[in-house]
Amino acid sequence: MSGDGGPDSELLEVIVDRVNVGVLVVDERFAVARWNRFMAMHSGIAPLEALGRDLFELFPDLPRRWLTQKLRSVFLLGNYAFTSWEQRPYLFRFPHNRPATAASVDCMRQDCTFIPIRDATDRVTHVCITVTDVTDACIYQMQLLDAMRRLEEMSVRDALTGIFNRGHIEARLRDEVARSRRHGDPLSVILLDVDDFKRVNDRHGHKAGDTVLREVVRRITGNLRQHDVCGRYGGEEFTVVLPGTDLPSARVVAERLRRAVACQAVETSAGPIKLSITLGVAQLDPDTIDHEMLLDRADRALYQGKRAGRDRVMTAADGC
Amino acid sequence: MSFQDYTPDQEDALQEVVNIAMGQAGSALAHILDSYVALSVPRVRIVSAQDVADAVAEMISGTREGDPEQMTAVRQAFFNNLRGESIVLFGAGGCDDLADLLGHDQALAQEETNEELLLDVANILSGAVLNGIAQQLETDFAYSAPTLMARGGSVQDLLNPEMLGWEYALLVEVNFSLEARGFSCHLVLLMPETSIDLMREVLDRMLEAL
Repeated sequence: MSGDGGPDSELLEVIVDRVNVGVLVVDERFAVARWNRFMAMHSGIAPLEALGRDLFELFPDLPRRWLTQKLRSVFLLGNYAFTSWEQRPYLFRFPHNRPATAASVDCMRQDCTFIPIRDATDRVTHVCITVTDVTDACIYQMQLLDAMRRLEEMSVRDALTGIFNRGHIEARLRDEVARSRRHGDPLSVILLDVDDFKRVNDRHGHKAGDTVLREVVRRITGNLRQHDVCGRYGGEEFTVVLPGTDLPSARVVAERLRRAVACQAVETSAGPIKLSITLGVAQLDPDTIDHEMLLDRADRALYQGKRAGRDRVMTAADGC
Repeated sequence: MSFQDYTPDQEDALQEVVNIAMGQAGSALAHILDSYVALSVPRVRIVSAQDVADAVAEMISGTREGDPEQMTAVRQAFFNNLRGESIVLFGAGGCDDLADLLGHDQALAQEETNEELLLDVANILSGAVLNGIAQQLETDFAYSAPTLMARGGSVQDLLNPEMLGWEYALLVEVNFSLEARGFSCHLVLLMPETSIDLMREVLDRMLEAL
């Protein structure tokens, strides 16, 4: 493994030693034949200590069976082999160089390459392992995934109230309709509207209006069951999807929501505001073609409720 | 692009190179995997980007991997003067059956472990074949790390002509199977455009030397 002298090989020595990549070489018995500065610095094992020692003795934590087979394949086939941090975070457990800024990563992430080294007769006598520090790439990827998760979350949420937006709640309802048809479970939906909301906005200002909407949502979500899903359907209109729920039970839930909103005035910057909601309830039945028709039936019940004097629950069975 | 087919002599020489390489690959793999590895007669031809997916799907339909709609694929680049990519196509079963042969833990519950096994198997198969070819051509390839290309995708999507970025490529295909393990997979080498011409020169030199 030694160079043949001359200025070029001296230069190569220096480069291999100083390059910011781990370079180690093992022979067929996995004894270390080369150990560059990167390896020495990060492992705390000086070249003189490492040279000639069994790699698995130096690093008892190495996955022995797997790594032996990997090295063996390079010796036998003369092929390159690789490990990537995405599947195997590291080969050698080294501290990373961002001790102050990367709490999310516990140690250096590494990409490794196994390179066959042949002698003059073309036989593979050594394997060179290079270790590249890819901790930064790993952190960027984690940040990217995190940002994507948040974007995805934002794309289904209503910005003002934090509950699902119309697009998402409609998609959920469509899925639930399909599921209900498949399994024969009941499914109901509530469409509700804040009574006289325009007056709240006109009289107390939009800021108070926003507070009212947020408080209504808080009271609604606080009175739902685990599998009920709530979304903002329009300005002051909300939808609740109730899987596994028939009309009488949905009516009970709706009545609970109505009382939760009506029982107490909402505190706003413009003073307390007394509120009520009107709710239309419908259950999926064989005549209801799709989720749009189901919503339409709940909407008609809601309209009936409004005409009948607001602050009440009306079901699609009540003659609409 | 103007494109010129290989002469029958060049074709024969290339087929011979590939056959010998596969033979070497087979015995090397048998050694490392400690099992008999059966290889199909390799197919070598020049294909257009339009036809490549059909060509590969057709070859896969006749094998154990079965459904060309449900492939897991690992790709890897190789290069010196000749350059190209190797793609190893696994059937729905992946290669979990080979875990112990490569020193992986049997417990493959974790997706990362399963993925690494796919990459390891693909790397070994590609490496064995390409080393064989390199030896015949008296050259030496460098390789990129293998990456997972698709899980459960169709051959048509994997080799979508609009994504390929070349018009013609030299296609080498071979099917591997480990009878004892009930495992098989399909290896595809694609060397686009300039490599077709470079290979022609290499073959001519070989033919002259005969």
